[in-house]
Amino acid sequence: MPELGRAALLVTLGLSLYALVAGAYAAYHGRRRLARSAQNALVASFVSTAVAALVLLSALLRNDFSFAYVARTTSVALPTPYTISAFWGGQEGSLLLWLLILTGFGAAAVSLNRRWARDLIVWVVPVFAAVATFFSFLVVAVASPFVTQPAPPDGAGMTPSLQNPYMLAHPPLLYLGYVGLTVPFAFAMGALLSGRLDERWLIATRRWTLFAWAALGVGQLLGSHWAYVEVGWGGYYAWDPVENAALMPWLAATAFLHSVMIQEKRGMLKIWNVLLVILAFSLALFGTFLTRSGVVNSIHSFTESSIGPWFLGFIALTVAVSLVVVLRRVPLLRSPTKLESPISREAAFLYNNLLLLALCLAILWGVVYPMLSEAVRGESVVLGRSYYDFFLRAFGLPLLLLMGIGPLIAWRRASLRSLATTFRWPTIVALATGALLLWRGAGSSVPGLVAYTFSAFVITTIVMEFARGTRARKALGATSWFGAFTSLIGRNRRRYGGYVVHAAVVLFAIGVAGSSAFDSVAEAKLVRGESMHIGNYTLVYRSLSEHAGANATEIRATLGVRRGDHDLGTLQAGKNAYTIEQQVSNEVGIRSDKLTGEDLFVIAEQIDPNGTVYFRVFVKPLVNLIWLAGLVFLLGSVITLWPDRREQRRLVARASAVGLPATR
Amino acid sequence: MARNASPARLVIALSVAAVLAVFLLYTSIAGGGNPSVSPSELAGRTGAVQLAGVVVGPVTGDAHAGGLRFKLRDIAAKSTTAVAVRYSGSIPDLFKVGRHIVVNGQLERGTFVAQPNSLITKCPSKYAPKKSTSSA
Amino acid sequence: MTLALVLAATLAVACVVAVALPFLQEPEPESDDLVELDEAEMRRLELFEARDRALAALKELEFDHRTGTVSDEDYREQVGPLRREAAAALQALGEVGEGSPIDGRN
Repeated sequence: MPELGRAALLVTLGLSLYALVAGAYAAYHGRRRLARSAQNALVASFVSTAVAALVLLSALLRNDFSFAYVARTTSVALPTPYTISAFWGGQEGSLLLWLLILTGFGAAAVSLNRRWARDLIVWVVPVFAAVATFFSFLVVAVASPFVTQPAPPDGAGMTPSLQNPYMLAHPPLLYLGYVGLTVPFAFAMGALLSGRLDERWLIATRRWTLFAWAALGVGQLLGSHWAYVEVGWGGYYAWDPVENAALMPWLAATAFLHSVMIQEKRGMLKIWNVLLVILAFSLALFGTFLTRSGVVNSIHSFTESSIGPWFLGFIALTVAVSLVVVLRRVPLLRSPTKLESPISREAAFLYNNLLLLALCLAILWGVVYPMLSEAVRGESVVLGRSYYDFFLRAFGLPLLLLMGIGPLIAWRRASLRSLATTFRWPTIVALATGALLLWRGAGSSVPGLVAYTFSAFVITTIVMEFARGTRARKALGATSWFGAFTSLIGRNRRRYGGYVVHAAVVLFAIGVAGSSAFDSVAEAKLVRGESMHIGNYTLVYRSLSEHAGANATEIRATLGVRRGDHDLGTLQAGKNAYTIEQQVSNEVGIRSDKLTGEDLFVIAEQIDPNGTVYFRVFVKPLVNLIWLAGLVFLLGSVITLWPDRREQRRLVARASAVGLPATR
Repeated sequence: MARNASPARLVIALSVAAVLAVFLLYTSIAGGGNPSVSPSELAGRTGAVQLAGVVVGPVTGDAHAGGLRFKLRDIAAKSTTAVAVRYSGSIPDLFKVGRHIVVNGQLERGTFVAQPNSLITKCPSKYAPKKSTSSA
Repeated sequence: MTLALVLAATLAVACVVAVALPFLQEPEPESDDLVELDEAEMRRLELFEARDRALAALKELEFDHRTGTVSDEDYREQVGPLRREAAAALQALGEVGEGSPIDGRN
């Protein structure tokens, strides 16, 4: 069966190459049948990749250790869900997954749009095909999942820390995000190459971009949650290059998502938009590269492998070609509409672009700095947490405030008079909140206090937007307040879905501020019966137990928790010693307070044979708001993604008026 | 009020200037990061560095009482230099002999004294190399 | 092994057929030229987009005014130019070619 897999991937490579060459030729010379043939090749490449994927999946499920990949990433004892997740757990399999999603999305995006955007699609196909050619080349020639060997009796198994539900969802979601960004990129390049710079490329890709962006966001949050509860050092983000690898394209995509609204409404920022989408896609490729090549000293160092240089080369080629194409089309991208005032909603979006871009580039600088300094000075210098925290505050806090300001400023030109009116309540609430928090001791961290104050401003703005909108709809004749509310959202899905996402970001900001600026830590070496204090909590080390689990010996220290007079029950923290894999993992104990969102986080750092335990305990205020923010983010994304029939009808009417086929 | 130049240019120029100012502010306050060195490059260096290497046993001592002691050698197996390290603070799960780790600190009288809680282990290779290749 | 080869061969053949399909279906077409929008149609598309943009901006201004984000004064200031813009876009469409009856209830 590995022969089938190898053959299928070879077919994919052939089809991609054909789609690239034939598609480009057909686009350049305007040959209809050849263009259609290239499209078919792209769709067929998905089928052949799916065949290869099925071969690998069946090998995994059958524990066929003659596949070197299966032997390296699974074992007989591995539970089925994790055996499936081993598909993307290793280098070759993850590249195959990339290719599968890429060809799948490419086939779908092209098929759905090929009638009403025919002159655009004809150029989109070769762009998709180019990316597919690269990835299929990698899995055919450089990192094949179908290398065979004499089958060993058992496989090497999977690291215990990867055997949890988060690791089932986190990588696929990130891949959906990374690969999903190929769609707007391909359509942007298609629009530039064909010279068809009307809105069709934006309309065709809007939901794809939203979906990819949402997947990337949720995937990162899941990864953070995993780091928090599983790796358990007390934090959720370490500014590790691999974590940043997903954050950077997400920031660029956020800027792109906002910026295209301006192009849609005012016809401005066209050059910004194509550059942002090229940046987002390049960063997605770069992120994929970073998680593999071992170029950077990272906690996730996936050891050096030979595909690094290929990736770098492809990224460089992509950036170079894209920029050349943009430069040639600059005359078509210039917009007649000009920015009228630095105080306007358009300007606010422009500041938004600049801040997001600045943050993204600052993070990029931090990630590549060690490599650059090594190349230039012969010594690699690593920038630490303080670098990233500084820029997160410098750019992130203004971004937070801007989320609240944006909706309050009018289009084109806002008079200071109108600003005074619209800003009044949010400013009052923000200042009052700030003063109250200051009185309650939040002055211990200035950035934290500022984050809280800005958050109050933004929340007030969002609540007022919903309230005013609902009231307006009620006045227009809605039957009930609830009816007014739902019809408000229903008729303005993107705007109000966007506000829900903004609310998620605010919750996130509050959670991050609370848990990083106002947290506390205490350490103590305790024998049985001894206690320690942190904040309002008192912890008593009661007992130590050992328990033989399925594949590990579980050692747990039980602590009694009190806060003031209240007995809050017990908490367990300890370690698991995995027999086969010869590894020990920390199993932290977390008590989440449902009312305040605060976490009591206990790590049993060291357990001595005589039962003395060295504990490290954190109190993390408001940290659970971060995870709640993830749910709100999901809700907001779903609202904005939801199909809008009214909008559809309008687009169909417009298309048929111009003579384009009405159906996509 | 006649506007000759679009305010957009002014806005962008001011913003870029602001961003540069922020960068300058940072570098003047915080300075650069720590150089990352391998044990064979450590000899004679003063000042804080980030040491990256492979843990060599035996591992003795207590990280929370007096300090954990072990040796660190280069990742590329060519060099046999091993530097003695004394570390106090949290030990990540994956720490053991043979693991790649990274730790901040400085060389003091022949022993690398680590900054507390600065030890980071690298996750075991998810993407194992087919053949080991030396880094570029 | 043979099963794998047979399946692989089937896959390859199927893909070749898929790729050759347009040529097999139309061995001698009337025209092999790609149907694209010509200059006039592109211009009309752009005009339609301009029209929709102007109408959407007007609608948003009305909504913002109704919810109170835009004050009466600012509304009066802005609604005139926006209406003129929308009218100009509609007029330009009328000049260039017949459009379908415009759906005012956006």
